[in-house]
Amino acid sequence: MSVIEVSGLTKSYGARRGVIELDFAVDAGEVFGFLGPNGAGKTTTIRLLTGMVCPTAGEARVFGHDAWRDAPAVHRQMAVVASDPGFLGELTVAEQLDHLADLRNLPAGVWRPLAERLELEPNVQIRKLSRGNRQKIGVVAVFMGAESLLVMDEPTSGLDPLMQREFLGLVSEARAAGRTVFLSSHNLAEVERTCDRVGVIREGRLVEIAPMQALIGLHWRSVNIVFAEAPDADAFDLPDVRVVATSGREAHLMVRGDVNPLVRRLGRFDLVDLSVATPDLEDVFLHLYEPTAPDAAGTRTAEVTR
Amino acid sequence: MNARVLRLELRRSRTLLFWLALTMVLYGGFMAAYYPTLVRDIATIEQTFKTYPKEMLAAFSIEGNLSDQGAYFNAYVLSLVWPIVAAMAGILIPTRMVAADLERGFLELSLTTPVSRTRYLVTAIAVQVAAMAILAAATTLAIAGVLPLVGVAIEPARYLVVGLLAFAFGCTISAATTLLAVRTLSRGIAGGLIAGALLLMFLLQTIAKLVPDLSAISYLSVFRYFYPTPVLDQGSVPAGDLAVFGLVAVACWAGAVWLFRRRDLIG
Repeated sequence: MSVIEVSGLTKSYGARRGVIELDFAVDAGEVFGFLGPNGAGKTTTIRLLTGMVCPTAGEARVFGHDAWRDAPAVHRQMAVVASDPGFLGELTVAEQLDHLADLRNLPAGVWRPLAERLELEPNVQIRKLSRGNRQKIGVVAVFMGAESLLVMDEPTSGLDPLMQREFLGLVSEARAAGRTVFLSSHNLAEVERTCDRVGVIREGRLVEIAPMQALIGLHWRSVNIVFAEAPDADAFDLPDVRVVATSGREAHLMVRGDVNPLVRRLGRFDLVDLSVATPDLEDVFLHLYEPTAPDAAGTRTAEVTR
Repeated sequence: MNARVLRLELRRSRTLLFWLALTMVLYGGFMAAYYPTLVRDIATIEQTFKTYPKEMLAAFSIEGNLSDQGAYFNAYVLSLVWPIVAAMAGILIPTRMVAADLERGFLELSLTTPVSRTRYLVTAIAVQVAAMAILAAATTLAIAGVLPLVGVAIEPARYLVVGLLAFAFGCTISAATTLLAVRTLSRGIAGGLIAGALLLMFLLQTIAKLVPDLSAISYLSVFRYFYPTPVLDQGSVPAGDLAVFGLVAVACWAGAVWLFRRRDLIG
């Protein structure tokens, strides 16, 4: 069952582009990563999902409710943290979190275990906190309830590595509890480690949407081989395998998708060394953001073997 | 209305309200304490005023017999300091809850909870109403409370009506600001437009008093409908003025709610 269903979703701000004809769905219990550089349309998409802005065309449905027209009904099942939440500087952390808990019909102090886990001091005025500690309030706020859908826009920006690891743990626990997570992030390693599927937005359009492993698997891997003896010239004449360079007993290849045909072919040879560099999400992301996305491995060698 | 939002917003308004109310209590109380002295020296004071330019007297609403409570308190408190205090509260509170909180990202926190936009803005309006009631009460109670202490008899009902008129005047400023804040989503623009409009209306009212042929332009001024002198001196009830304030305020607030429900909220 889809928790989020977006079809033909378009938002323009006058002549300014927001997002254009987005189509995607997020299933219950899924952790969905939403990637894109600044200005690509990530925050606009989140504002459309949270009912802060009205679509120009298309619709976003959350738990079957129209995200714009039935926003309060959606919000009863959704917890949201924006990229730079405007907490009130004059309140203490405890007062701010109790207020937000109150608005969400949660008991006072529900946030305390999470605050302790993230080492967030509750009795300090928010205006005296560092950016990272203010960001912790957002993380605590989004996880403190029992909402089925968590929507997060850059939730870990400003967090130190230890707290980022705690955040990843919280996301894993949310997934284990069957909660759905919609995570917009610049932190590609974080998305790679937490998300089941990823959508990549570029200039307002969704350019890629796929399961994480498929997304990475569809891209070129770099393979370096050292043979006991120099191989034949046609030894790597296989589909989706390209020879980047050969030098005597060494070969540098690029392979896309299924690696088994290459592994079987290599079985014919006596190998001294073999290394396969799997592209990470950053490689994929950079590829998708190239001005043009070429198919030929050779033109992308530097990127993939980075 | 949402009680939790109301509680927080009243708390956020308390410092502003405390200082504005204290200003009105101290100033209103002082002018009330001074009133018997003015009555005693009225001949000298009126002689002095005769040397002043009539434009200045018109601008500061110094008209009629100043030894009457209505003329005196209108000139020195109600048409002088109250509009400034009402404008400060009527601009700062509505623009904070709509435009400033949107700009700082706090509005998004509140509106991504089960609290609907309508309930949020109705609560914002309730905060404005409460603030204006506190300030109007502080002003009139300070005057009506001190006068008996200095041996001046008062008609409490007349001060009650003046308090109501002052409250309605302040609510009208608040309501217009709310509508503009929702329309522009900018604290600076909404506040600036309202402050500029009040200044313009003050000038229109002054010109209308000085140039009889242009007296009709005073109908465009909010200050025309805020005239406490006859209320205190003759006991008249300004039902028409109250109705104008009420209609404008309700229309502006209703328009603000209508617009707030339908517009994009982007800081």
